[in-house]
Amino acid sequence: MVITIISFFLKVLAVYFGMGVLFGIYFLFIGATKIDPLMKNSKWIVRLLLFPGVVATWICLLPKLYKK
Amino acid sequence: MGLNYQLVLWNKNKKVYDRFILLFVLLYLLLFWGITLITNSNTSLETLTIRSSGTLAILLLHIILSIGPLARINKKFLPLLYNRRHLGVSMFLIALIHGGFSIFQFHMLGDVNPIYSVFTSNLDYSSLHDFPFQVLGFLALLILFAMAATSHDFWLANLSAKTWKTLHMLVYVAYALIVSHVFLGAFQQETSPYMPVLMGIGFVVLVILHISAGIKEVKKDKQTYEASDEDWKYVCEIDEIEEDRAKIFIVDHERIAIFKYENKLSAIHNVCKHQGGPLGEGKIIDGCITCPWHGYQYLPQNGQSPPPFTEKVATYYVKIEDKKVYVLPKPLDEGTEVSPAIIES
Repeated sequence: MVITIISFFLKVLAVYFGMGVLFGIYFLFIGATKIDPLMKNSKWIVRLLLFPGVVATWICLLPKLYKK
Repeated sequence: MGLNYQLVLWNKNKKVYDRFILLFVLLYLLLFWGITLITNSNTSLETLTIRSSGTLAILLLHIILSIGPLARINKKFLPLLYNRRHLGVSMFLIALIHGGFSIFQFHMLGDVNPIYSVFTSNLDYSSLHDFPFQVLGFLALLILFAMAATSHDFWLANLSAKTWKTLHMLVYVAYALIVSHVFLGAFQQETSPYMPVLMGIGFVVLVILHISAGIKEVKKDKQTYEASDEDWKYVCEIDEIEEDRAKIFIVDHERIAIFKYENKLSAIHNVCKHQGGPLGEGKIIDGCITCPWHGYQYLPQNGQSPPPFTEKVATYYVKIEDKKVYVLPKPLDEGTEVSPAIIES
């Protein structure tokens, strides 16, 4: 039972972060300026700095992107 | 402020604080390694790294959690708030070294996925004595990662202040996990009582600081000011406000900061548009009210950030009669120009 719960939890975690990485790549090249217009005038290295945060919180950014 | 995002918001003071952090970290590691090698020369490099980074991360977390209440209790601690963000990210990186080396040393050598191994190498979850405490540390590290990764102005603007604040309040969940990680780990591995005892002292100090700061805030919130004619509220005598500083008043449930500068008084809403910092705890620098948290600036007479920046806060009417200061607690539209009250000598 414990093993099943752990396996499920880790799979969910892996899927979440995996999708986060995909969303992060989209964010780097296209999504950043769509989500926040201030990113247009920001240096590209800022996007790289934000990448881990996108991987962690992509699910919160998705509705914002959808609305735009 | 305003037009684009910077990689890091550095200024002269922040660079000084960052140098202090670096110096402190290096000094701590040097002392820890030196003392450990003198007392036990057989300690391996991995063990030294795991222990020194773990204890340092815990120490920094205690400092970080103390800064908020200390700044509320005594204004002298306010400058420490300036650099809490950098301290938090530094603490995460050090905790990551601790977690990374621990996983490398204890979970990488088998044929099982190391993260899976963290959760399953010990399945005694029902035992207090043998609880797999590494799992708690791993979960705390996940929270600290999410916090460190979102420690940039972009996140405050795009996650919304409420979501961002909620995410960062998880530091207390991370702290609870870390306390459990240390105490349950100590039951199994620690032969010396020093670490659990120091952790216990740290916990008690944090609880006392938070309760003291909370009591002070409640007292401030309950303070009422007598009503005057036309809904003007008397708040204080002129001399009670320091030059280029403010006093904060809660009038009709609104936090209002009244600033004194160049023989004038101006009143604005106390909450900074950037991260909700307490503007009234800042001071006037170069003619602008400067937020103590991240240096966002507003002109005292209209609550607007100086051009080309666009942030605005609400302003209030303020007047002086017989050296007594009165404020009209109805907020004007954000950025509304209000003539300052003139202090006649």
